[in-house]
Amino acid sequence: MNTNNNLYTVIYTTIIVVVVAAVLSFVSQSLKGRQDANIKAETLRQMMAAAQIKPAEELYATANADILQLYADNIAEAYTIGLDGQKNGSLEVSVDNIQLVDKLKPQNRGILNGGDVTLPVYIFKSNVAVIPIYGAGLWGPVWGYVAFNSDCYTIAGAFFDHESETPGLGAKIKDEAWFREKFIGKTVEWGETPAFKLEKNAEESGASNAVDAISGATMTSNGLNAALNTWFKAYEKHFGLGAFFNMLAGTSLTDVNKEEE
Amino acid sequence: MKLKETILDPIFKSNPITVLVLGICSSLAVTVTMKGALVMALSVMAVCGISSLILSTLRNTIPGRVRIIVQLVVVAMMVILVDQILKSFEATYPIDKQLSVYISLIITNCIVMGRIEAFALGNKPIPSMLDGLANGAGYGLVLLIVAFFRELLGSGTLFGIQVMPAGYVTNNLVILPPFALILLGCIVWVQRSIQKDLQEK
Repeated sequence: MNTNNNLYTVIYTTIIVVVVAAVLSFVSQSLKGRQDANIKAETLRQMMAAAQIKPAEELYATANADILQLYADNIAEAYTIGLDGQKNGSLEVSVDNIQLVDKLKPQNRGILNGGDVTLPVYIFKSNVAVIPIYGAGLWGPVWGYVAFNSDCYTIAGAFFDHESETPGLGAKIKDEAWFREKFIGKTVEWGETPAFKLEKNAEESGASNAVDAISGATMTSNGLNAALNTWFKAYEKHFGLGAFFNMLAGTSLTDVNKEEE
Repeated sequence: MKLKETILDPIFKSNPITVLVLGICSSLAVTVTMKGALVMALSVMAVCGISSLILSTLRNTIPGRVRIIVQLVVVAMMVILVDQILKSFEATYPIDKQLSVYISLIITNCIVMGRIEAFALGNKPIPSMLDGLANGAGYGLVLLIVAFFRELLGSGTLFGIQVMPAGYVTNNLVILPPFALILLGCIVWVQRSIQKDLQEK
């Protein structure tokens, strides 16, 4: 058989490519459910680590199904807000149908360009509110979750993650527990610019809204600093005006707690 | 070539990393932990073995002028399949996340294309598959050796389990890629001192 014939070559490559494409799309479709479940469980782990439900190591050693249950047991309410700080949607929290806003990239774009956003707020029964942050590190995206106490400005906990920061340097934002623990008890000064500082020698100033950046990881620290401030700005109207506090004092959360009793 | 040599040669005598000096890039990148290195090794074995099997089966039908492209398509398919499967299981998901782009970059690993060009296109399917698997294993062996030292000295753990005494101060140089290159150099040195025929006059 003459395999160097033009027609043969074209037909052969077409068939190969079509077959490969079919196999890949079939596999991708059939595995999507499992992959999404893994991504969701990962997001829940990081949120609960920020909310100090359990230590991160323990959450990472817990199976997906138990993570979903743990979240359903601890969450009080989840809803989304727009850039005006007003509620524009609610998220399901029952264990069979946990809804999250786990694609942060389009939201980040919305914040930067002033578009439509659905920024999530997750309120846990321990009276902390968890919000996500997202931005650019050195090599790829960095993101994380920050938990606030019911006074709306004291940080109850934080958890950060990254796609491909340098191991041993930028990767410390996730790997080193001491870094995220530094955020506990710090405050966010809503309305000020910047609302929070992750900078060199920041702690020396004694300011309560400052955490020292990581030496040797300047770009990652700067990226995380920008991510924190961009997202804090987006939540400013919601938290800065005490909306969360009003909500705690008002209806929704207390109702949930009453039902429990 | 005998079947036994096909399997054993790539593990030591003509190891793809230390003798053919292929796949250096990923062996610097994914050897920070044993778990990562093991998953990477198994992934490369799977990609190498199955791509060789498929392409060796098709070898008489592939048009010569587009054979590299056909190889690329098949290898790329295998790499994406491996990546998708790793992402789907609870146990492998965190490791896939840690390896990030390096799983997708198996496609650029010269060992895979190298073995297909050099072996699979000229041999029967079963020996080709074994050759692919053995080269993947030879690559994996070096990866595991490097990862053993890097995880032990850099994190004080092995497969995530603490083995160094509590007072051990982790060595940050070991975590960074340059140290993997130094270790690789040492492995090449050890091998060449055992295997005299590799020594240049």
